[in-house]
Amino acid sequence: MLKFDLKKFNNQQTLFHFQGELPVNGVTSVFGDSGAGKTSLVRALAGLDKTYSGSLFFRDKTWQDDAVFITADKREIGMVFQEPRLFPHLDALGNLKLATKKASKSLYSISELAELLDFTQLLDKKSHQLSGGQKQRIAIARAILTGPDLLIMDEPLSSLDQHSRRLLLPFIKKLSLKIPIIYITHSMQEVFYLSQNMILVHQGEVECIGEPQSLFLNLNLSLAKHKHSGLIVDVQSSHWDPEFSVLHGYIDRQAIIVTMDKPTQLTDFQIKIESKDVVIATKKLEFSSLQNCLKVTIEQIEQLPTTSVLLTLSTGEQKILAKITNKSLNELALKVNQNIFAYIKAMNISLLDD
Amino acid sequence: MLSELDYSAIFLTFKLAALTTLILLIISPPLAWWLARSKCFYRPIIEALVALPLVLPPTVLGFYLLIAFSPDNFIGGFWLNLTGNTLAFSFSGLLIASIIYSLPFVVQPLQSAFVNLDKDYLEVSATLGFSPQETFYRVVFPMVLPSFIIAGALGFAHTIGEFGVVLMIGGNIPGETQVLSIALFDHVETLQYQQAHLLSICLLVFSMSLLILIYGVLQKRQQRINDA
Repeated sequence: MLKFDLKKFNNQQTLFHFQGELPVNGVTSVFGDSGAGKTSLVRALAGLDKTYSGSLFFRDKTWQDDAVFITADKREIGMVFQEPRLFPHLDALGNLKLATKKASKSLYSISELAELLDFTQLLDKKSHQLSGGQKQRIAIARAILTGPDLLIMDEPLSSLDQHSRRLLLPFIKKLSLKIPIIYITHSMQEVFYLSQNMILVHQGEVECIGEPQSLFLNLNLSLAKHKHSGLIVDVQSSHWDPEFSVLHGYIDRQAIIVTMDKPTQLTDFQIKIESKDVVIATKKLEFSSLQNCLKVTIEQIEQLPTTSVLLTLSTGEQKILAKITNKSLNELALKVNQNIFAYIKAMNISLLDD
Repeated sequence: MLSELDYSAIFLTFKLAALTTLILLIISPPLAWWLARSKCFYRPIIEALVALPLVLPPTVLGFYLLIAFSPDNFIGGFWLNLTGNTLAFSFSGLLIASIIYSLPFVVQPLQSAFVNLDKDYLEVSATLGFSPQETFYRVVFPMVLPSFIIAGALGFAHTIGEFGVVLMIGGNIPGETQVLSIALFDHVETLQYQQAHLLSICLLVFSMSLLILIYGVLQKRQQRINDA
């Protein structure tokens, strides 16, 4: 359990007020706009910013209250910053060895991590000889080698190349089974792929803590504008069709097709369906190039500030969103609980992995 | 040829420079760290005091030290009570004066290294579990090692070249306070030019070598910064 109530003032004004309580297991993502206070929150949790007042408890330990302040070096946290911050006077191995000096336990050895994160060949290289992605992989290994009780990662993948991202995302997910992770990101894809729990930060406060899907569907939160762009859904048991280069799968037992150039080993994957790419029909369309048709039920009709509405559509257990004009809504006479067809162009579905 | 007195002056000079450098390398890092990080309103005063020997004629500094070292004054009297010896015209007095005189040469390279040291690295060090003290010797010290070498070498070289302060407070006691530069001055005054030449060339070659070493280290460091 991580429980915090931390305030930072600037000339009598409250700059930040973070309050919340969450279980620490798996990945907890921290989501919010730039400047909302995501980094400030984790710096306060890590003890790197000592200007906060209030209280902070991690499991059975008091990290901060009126009388106590445990400094960052005594909190047994691992931290991966946005930039790799490798020590420039040491080579990669030197950086990693330094991290093991105060480690009370270790899940991995240096060579195991080098193998897993693909930098065995780079151990004798200095920071300036490495690419951004290589540095960040070593920085992640360095944080893990401290044997932390909690790993904090501040947008670790935001500036990385495709190779590093593909390597790191599944690794981080697996790692979170052993070390709880707090993970800042502004990527909705990463939130859905990695985390079961999410801290939503908005204007210097924790707005809400909960399961990502339900937070994104909650109209009262600042997330609404993200949500308008679309939702992420799970697709099951796919296979790749080499003739047409498409991937077949199911959303709540309804068939769906995604374009895919290369064969893939994916069996279950996630896709983001953009709300503006969904076409609504009250009858089945004929003679059209639209490949994907889902039978859906209208759950909610929300008027947007513009001249459009946002429909929340249920495919069974999952939900997708469709943005249509007021005119279409009127002409089709759509109502809540009505059963309709939602069409999505096959090429419009973006795989989360990309 | 060099006389026995000359050898004893050379030995004394190196002993003085070595001890001065050693003590300066112990007291300067915390002082430089404080000067690099402190936001105290009186920091400029301390900074000015440290830098004063850079601009003050050595004779002025020597004159005030001579007054302070006199047994009639607090410092000199305290020393006399403590050790039974006077501070003026003694090796200990010379050592104290050298430390004050060479302080800015050791503090300033360290201070600028600490100012340029990215705070980000200190945060990383804390998250690796290192206390501030451990951070200093495990991270900061190895990172700014070239600056320590430069600071030490500058302090050493500067102490060897000292003349005005020594003349004022040390006098010219062979084996006790007669250092190289004073011995040289003596030779010239007594028209022993051959010995003056010998001592001068020794001093010149030594100082030149030391400076080449310092700038070699600097060049290497610059290379590393350019590469990064």
